[in-house]
Amino acid sequence: MIYHSISRAAGRLSLVLATLILAASAFAKDPIQLRFTVWDGDISLKVIQGVLKQFEEENPGVKVKLEPIPDYNVYHQKMLTLYAANVPPDVAMMDPGHFQALAAKDAILPLDPFIKNTPGFDLSAYYKPIVQAHSYKGQIYVLPRDIAPIGLIYYNKKLFKEAGIPYPDGSWTWDFKPRPELKEKDFVWVCQQLTKKDNAGKVSRWAFSSDYPELLARTLTYSSGGGYANDNEHPTQVTIAQPKTIRAYQYASDFMNLFHYMPNSTETSGVLMATSEQLFASQKIAMYENGIWMVPQIRKDLIPGKEGFFDWDITLFPAFADGTRSAPTGGSGYCIFRGTEHPEEAWKLTKFMAGPVAMTAMAKAGIAQPAIKSLALTPGVWVSGPTTPESQKYPANMVATDQAVPFVRFEPSAYYWPSVNERLNSGLDLVWSGQSKAEPILQAAQRNGQNRLDAMLKDEHLSPFNWTLGILTGLALVAAILLWTYWPERNIRYSHREKQESKAAYKFISPWLVGVAVFTLGPMILSLLMSFADWDIITPAKWRGVQNYVESGVVDPLFWKSLTVTFLYTIVAVPLGVFTALMLALLLNQKVKGIPVFRAIYYVPSLASLVASSLIWRKIFNPDNGLLNAMIYGQNGTWLGDTLSRIAGTPGKHVDWLGNEKFALPGLIIMSVWFAGGGMIIMIAGLQNIPQHYYEAATLDGAGVLSKFKAITLPLLTPTLFFALVTGFIGSFQVFTQAVVMTQGGPNDSTRFYMYRLYQNAFESLRMGYASAGAWILFAIIMVVTLIQFRMSKWVYYEADTK
Amino acid sequence: MTKSTPESQSAQQIDYERYRIAAKRAEKATAVARLVLWCVLFIGSVTFMMPLYMMVVMSLKTPHEIAVSSVWAWPKDLTWENFQLVLTNPNAPFFLFFRNSTIIATLSTAGVIVSSSLVAYPFARLKFRGRDRLFILLLSTMMLPGLVVMIPTFIMYKYLHWVDTFNPLIVPAWFGGGAFNIFLMRQFMMGIPRELDEAAYIDGASHSTIFWRVILPNSGAAMATIGIFAFVYTWKDFIGPLIYLSSPEKQTLELGLKTYQALNQERWELLMAGSVLVMIPLIVMFLLGQRYFVKGIVMSGIK
Repeated sequence: MIYHSISRAAGRLSLVLATLILAASAFAKDPIQLRFTVWDGDISLKVIQGVLKQFEEENPGVKVKLEPIPDYNVYHQKMLTLYAANVPPDVAMMDPGHFQALAAKDAILPLDPFIKNTPGFDLSAYYKPIVQAHSYKGQIYVLPRDIAPIGLIYYNKKLFKEAGIPYPDGSWTWDFKPRPELKEKDFVWVCQQLTKKDNAGKVSRWAFSSDYPELLARTLTYSSGGGYANDNEHPTQVTIAQPKTIRAYQYASDFMNLFHYMPNSTETSGVLMATSEQLFASQKIAMYENGIWMVPQIRKDLIPGKEGFFDWDITLFPAFADGTRSAPTGGSGYCIFRGTEHPEEAWKLTKFMAGPVAMTAMAKAGIAQPAIKSLALTPGVWVSGPTTPESQKYPANMVATDQAVPFVRFEPSAYYWPSVNERLNSGLDLVWSGQSKAEPILQAAQRNGQNRLDAMLKDEHLSPFNWTLGILTGLALVAAILLWTYWPERNIRYSHREKQESKAAYKFISPWLVGVAVFTLGPMILSLLMSFADWDIITPAKWRGVQNYVESGVVDPLFWKSLTVTFLYTIVAVPLGVFTALMLALLLNQKVKGIPVFRAIYYVPSLASLVASSLIWRKIFNPDNGLLNAMIYGQNGTWLGDTLSRIAGTPGKHVDWLGNEKFALPGLIIMSVWFAGGGMIIMIAGLQNIPQHYYEAATLDGAGVLSKFKAITLPLLTPTLFFALVTGFIGSFQVFTQAVVMTQGGPNDSTRFYMYRLYQNAFESLRMGYASAGAWILFAIIMVVTLIQFRMSKWVYYEADTK
Repeated sequence: MTKSTPESQSAQQIDYERYRIAAKRAEKATAVARLVLWCVLFIGSVTFMMPLYMMVVMSLKTPHEIAVSSVWAWPKDLTWENFQLVLTNPNAPFFLFFRNSTIIATLSTAGVIVSSSLVAYPFARLKFRGRDRLFILLLSTMMLPGLVVMIPTFIMYKYLHWVDTFNPLIVPAWFGGGAFNIFLMRQFMMGIPRELDEAAYIDGASHSTIFWRVILPNSGAAMATIGIFAFVYTWKDFIGPLIYLSSPEKQTLELGLKTYQALNQERWELLMAGSVLVMIPLIVMFLLGQRYFVKGIVMSGIK
């Protein structure tokens, strides 16, 4: 009796205890996790991680998950896409060129309310230009952490001394021709002096390089009074083809290709295979334009006392001859995404990372100039002071970065500018390689850019998409399909047994039916609907009617270009691949020793990772020490090589496969043959399915090898060939990876495959409606091509069909 | 019947001699032809293997060596540090890449095998309302380019909060597993003798039992084939992970290599080391299961 009641009491007690423990743990605070994305690279990341640790110490209960996305372009696409996909970070690094896209869509929070609620926060301590650049419609969205004037020149003091030129103090100027009377006050004269040629007339040392050609062009454009648009926050006019801009771009091209003060991209990526910074560190260039963020890398490469060290410093980029000083700039800060579950903590993180502690850490590491002016000028933080360690005494003239701030000029920050900018950038490769003058390219860019700009401005006034109508249409389509499926059998009565069989069958195919509805039919209908809309899946969809299709065919230059590219690739690569596969299969179907080994060897490349293959083939296409050119040109050049060079427009120089408009696509086609092994296996299977007795009978009849092939092999192989061709065509329309890894669609869009362009439209520009229209156009084309192939398949020989 | 006269005997002998000589010549010709073939194949294989050879060689050189030596030269010292550097990069966790690829590919392949068998069975064996038209529907979805459904499915996953998870890459495989695979399985199943079905049916088996006890066990070869295809395809998939996976710790080997490339732009020795690492799993699997690769395709009898 007592035992009973004791055990009952014990049971009740443990129940109560368990509840208490559960309740307690529910109340115990889970650490708040903030997701924090940056595009900083290795060196900066270490500093950031250190600063984050301090933040976590000062804010117990908050954990920060750092998510670096080191590729700058990928970063900004991802920000938009992550938000569109409902998985944005809490706090994100951001810059003036990209924040408006988010702010205009209400994806990031305005920071003014936070600032108001933080007593003692002084926004005016920050450099005005960078604060303004991060504001939209009067509100600030990004708290700046650094400003990065790019109008800076690193210079090699030793080389200046050798040439007898006094060190530049920033007061120099430039003009469109050298002015030797000004001596070292003329930038161009200095460039002339510092360019060294060897006995053969080839440049052995260049005077100058900017981090990438366009940087120089931009700097020259701004300082000579040119520009790209008529207003930064809300541009309505593209001005890239104004005479001043054209002149500046042409001059930049001449710097590389005419005067040879600066190596062009073929030389840097081909012969030298180095970045501009590496060229500076190895003294192949005497001066180097870039922002201050290269300092950590240069400090790593040039250690006082170690081999290869030389004295260096920075100075301001020269002003234009009329005294105008203006240069592009970078700058970044942090913003808070809407949808964060912890806005208060997110603000704390933002304030901390864009505050004195973090800025000082970045500044001391030489990575980023603080956005707070007083910090930038405090000795020992950014500019060197008595406490600065020896290794960080370089560059001595750090204060130049503060001097450059009043002259910075930002690019347009309008949210629609990036897609306009995309049109402005196409074709520039030709200018940098000297293959084209700047004027025609910029004129074309002007046209395309303005078209795009006008289209985007028009898009601001569209009516909302009628989803009810859309859904009704979709349901109607589904009903039509169901009707088509079941109509023929409507009058057939099933016996009980047959009904049972039917029921069982449907149970089996139910996963497929669900799959088709959810993953195939449904999406198809949705994408058809979307193709008539303008939708970025963040803001509500707008009705565009057939405009998407019209824009594709008429307005968008990339549409026809990418279609042509894909078509050319398909029409060459597929037959070539099938032919190669057939040849290989024939060769490998013989009874020779070691055949399985050979088969494996030819098959393995098609198993290789596409990304890895793209990387190695990029090496193979290298103009100067790549495998392909080594075979074509041999030691002393061959007839084939010379002909190719002439066609490429660079006689005397090796063909730059991936850098040359005419040769990039052929290069990719050659690469596709390497993957023919996959098709080979199918061909072998097809060959082995041919009964041997046919051959034996033919031999008995006295047939030779060739006639056996023509009469037996070929006809009986036609189904396999047909299959390979059809699937090959469908597959090649969807080529994608190589474009992404090897060429990014260039040069000059000559490898911008249709699928890649679609991907960019959908996931980089977030023009989902437009991309859907593009997908349907492709679908229609594929259908037509496949149908034609089937129509023309009279040549396919089918044996007695056993269906 | 030939007479055995002394003249005819020697005539026969001459014929026989001629035949033997001709046969020997033919044999020699075939042997020469085989040798030529072997040489051609050998040269071809060397050419085909060159990119991979270059990859391996470069992955074991120091950057200095790469700039200085010829592409064909075997590295002076095997620079295993490159691999170490690749594997210890905190922003590109190769072990996690491998784990993710394995998870996604395995689960996906399992889904493909199971669901395509399930769906193929009624098309192969059963009569049901709308079967023929549904089959045509099935065939036509084979020619659907992924493009058309890519965007709406992304939108669907967005609302499900499945972006940056493995789900978009695995779940569709369990709902039919791809029209092509269903088609292959169906063709194969149709080749299984009906007597087996009928025997089981007489013993009172339901359609379901026939499937599990008769059809499935005999479909091993086909399942292996589509399993291999599905596995290789998923393993090499680039655009799927590109669209759906963003956190580095969730990325697959293909995508991870691209991420790694973004982190180390011109460091070829590291990029090649990473490439070698990415390629090893599939190649090893191929070498181990070679027979199934070729045999399976032969069995599928492309029509």
